[in-house]
Amino acid sequence: MRWTCSVLTVGVLCVVGSSLFAAQDPPAKNPLEGNSDAIRGGMGLYRARCADCHGMDARGVRAPDITQVWASGRTDEGLFKTIKEGVSGTEMPANPRISDVEGWQILAYLRTLAAPAPTDPPRGNAVNGENIFRANCAGCHRVNGAGGRLGPDLSRIGVSRPREAVLLRIRRGTEDFRPGFEPVTLTPPSGPPIQGVKKNEDLFSVQIMDTRERIQGYEKDKMKSVKNDTKSAMPVFGPDRLSDSDLDDLLRYLQTLRGFDPAVVPK
Amino acid sequence: MHATTLRLLRLVLALSAGAAALTAQQTAPPPLVTSQEILDGLTPDGSRWLTFGGDYNNQRHSPLTQITPANVNRLVPQWTFQTGTLGNFETTSLLRDNVLYVTGPQNVAWALDARTGRQIWRYRRELPPNLTACCGLVNRGFGVLGDKLFMVTLDAHLLALDMKTGAIVWDVTMQDYKTGYASTIAPIVVKNKVIVGVAGGEYGIRGFIDAYEAQTGKRAWRFYTIPGPGEPGHETWASDSWKIGGAGVWVTGAYDPEQNLVFYGTGNPGPDYHSDSREGDNLYSTSLLALDADTGQLRWHYQFTPHDVHDWDSTEVPVLADITIAGQPRKVVMFANRNGFYYTLDRTTGKVIAAKPFVTTTWAKEVGRDGRPIEFPGHTPNEKGEVTCPDITGGTNFWPPTFDPSTRTFFVNAREACMTYYAWKPDYKPGDRFTGGAGQRGQSDQSAYGALRAIDPATGERKWEFRYLTPSTAGLLTTASGLIFSGDAEGNLLALDSRDGKLLWRYQMGAAMHGTSPTTYMLDGRQHLLVPAGTTLTAWALPQ
Repeated sequence: MRWTCSVLTVGVLCVVGSSLFAAQDPPAKNPLEGNSDAIRGGMGLYRARCADCHGMDARGVRAPDITQVWASGRTDEGLFKTIKEGVSGTEMPANPRISDVEGWQILAYLRTLAAPAPTDPPRGNAVNGENIFRANCAGCHRVNGAGGRLGPDLSRIGVSRPREAVLLRIRRGTEDFRPGFEPVTLTPPSGPPIQGVKKNEDLFSVQIMDTRERIQGYEKDKMKSVKNDTKSAMPVFGPDRLSDSDLDDLLRYLQTLRGFDPAVVPK
Repeated sequence: MHATTLRLLRLVLALSAGAAALTAQQTAPPPLVTSQEILDGLTPDGSRWLTFGGDYNNQRHSPLTQITPANVNRLVPQWTFQTGTLGNFETTSLLRDNVLYVTGPQNVAWALDARTGRQIWRYRRELPPNLTACCGLVNRGFGVLGDKLFMVTLDAHLLALDMKTGAIVWDVTMQDYKTGYASTIAPIVVKNKVIVGVAGGEYGIRGFIDAYEAQTGKRAWRFYTIPGPGEPGHETWASDSWKIGGAGVWVTGAYDPEQNLVFYGTGNPGPDYHSDSREGDNLYSTSLLALDADTGQLRWHYQFTPHDVHDWDSTEVPVLADITIAGQPRKVVMFANRNGFYYTLDRTTGKVIAAKPFVTTTWAKEVGRDGRPIEFPGHTPNEKGEVTCPDITGGTNFWPPTFDPSTRTFFVNAREACMTYYAWKPDYKPGDRFTGGAGQRGQSDQSAYGALRAIDPATGERKWEFRYLTPSTAGLLTTASGLIFSGDAEGNLLALDSRDGKLLWRYQMGAAMHGTSPTTYMLDGRQHLLVPAGTTLTAWALPQ
């Protein structure tokens, strides 16, 4: 495949693109990531070509949420290919009319929806942040193959969530749960209630991970009650539990997390 | 001639005549599918399902009574067919002479032995790359007449296949797919004509309904759903917007033989959300059309959503019935619309008899005496976003409803959901998406849910509902024994009592029924329930 500019693509980006895309293979990383002109162009292209199905905020309407694609391990190269070639057998069409530059522009914009680039200079001490993480968070959250499983794996949090969103989550908690992490309490006919997070559910059954990390399914009609909890199992870390300085350190550490290679044995 | 010789000769002649008759019986081809058979619809012997809705009325109401509310919990699977083909499986299978004729995603199709689910033949269309089909590479089923099956394609062709082999008999181009046209509709066959429509409302097409001669594939008529210059209704489109105004036809209509009219719902006008370029009512988008089946001439139209800006195609399934309302026998067409309103129209005039929201509907208060919705202000999408209920997918959509004439009840799988709608000015490029906006699900949408709702067509009032955890996209089937079959989005196949919505039986299919419904028929004296779910087709029956 030749990586040349579309004849319709004009201007600076095309000139920049010519040098960037002269190679035969697509770059592994988006050459336009963070480029403000590219992001602006990408927004227009995204809205015209993608938003109708994936939603204005890319969190999904008729088609899936695509703000978490990097968090789930997809690469720029793979996503570029998906834009160009579609997904065979699904509703995601091939887009032969989207030029290479335009494809990268769309990804540059999409990246800002996933995790907007921080505007403030980074602050905090990541090494201390890691220690704080291990002491306070690792019981429920996994990073690079180590830690608990009750909460979301945070190995890619640095590419999937803006700093401010993570900060608010720690300081104020949330009532907006990601699928797979909605807190639930089952009350069996006898014995203590079972608390956990919901992994799946239909009208008749619910599948959970309980607080001991046991995964198990239950039939609803065999329970005295099945209650969706409004409070997360994750405690709120106010300034009394976590100082502003420690919070900065923790956030700095989390922002360094970019995923890991599962082939490498965790420490 | 001697008497004995004569008798012998007569015997020989009789024997040879008998042998000839036997030979003829063995070699005579099985009877062809006739128009009368399709017209007869679902007969009490349950031996066939020959058109999309079971009959031309689209009632999806079977006269069969072997499976009842009392024994439905004893259903056992007979076989499962795996399509081996990715994509939504939205077909209604046809049944004739113990053989099922099934279309799948990506224009693959099969003839299956209805007794075992084993394949007899398979057809696969070599589709061109770079299809522009919006919203799923699906197909909604075959039409049939004589010894031919009729199937539309994602590259906007209409095919006739040999029922016995799956070989192509003829192949006609409806329109150039490269300019945004596609086709997913199940054809209906009326007399000797195959009636179909095109999809592409998100690609700046000009929609139409076509009729083709079943024998030859020659086009008999075309009705453009957007009138051209000089035609009534053309004035409802600003400047040249009519040329790219959408109004596709991608869900099967109904046929009234008494009036010789076909009824088809039409899709959204385009661009979907940004509508400055198409000032006016935009006829005949988001409408129900009554067309003469022989000529394609328009008899009447009713526009559900004048100047739609929410992508609320009126491509839901129209259902015909003759019912008594306020003591008067009425010929009606029933229509649960994506815009959130349920309608009963007089199908001889297109006038509204009843219209009432069947889900939360914030864009319009009611339908006025003139038949137009009385709209609330502030529901035009813009760059900042405006919140409206229903959402883009709508109060319901293309999944078929059902009607039980014995209890005069219309059933629909309804969705309760809202959305923030955005709009911006799009540029038109042939074959490119042309929607001019998008939607965004908000936090309020966390509470979106679905429900099977039973509606009285005389008033639009709800009789009962069965709530689902999340919105379902399954179609429905009722039977004369008082059953309704449905499915939820989590993959449960459900049987309920159609009188009160009580759940009687369920089975987790592993994937949802989507856009289509179960069908039912008799096979070797046993009533079968055929369920398309995920990429499978499973037949159920009571134990022998």
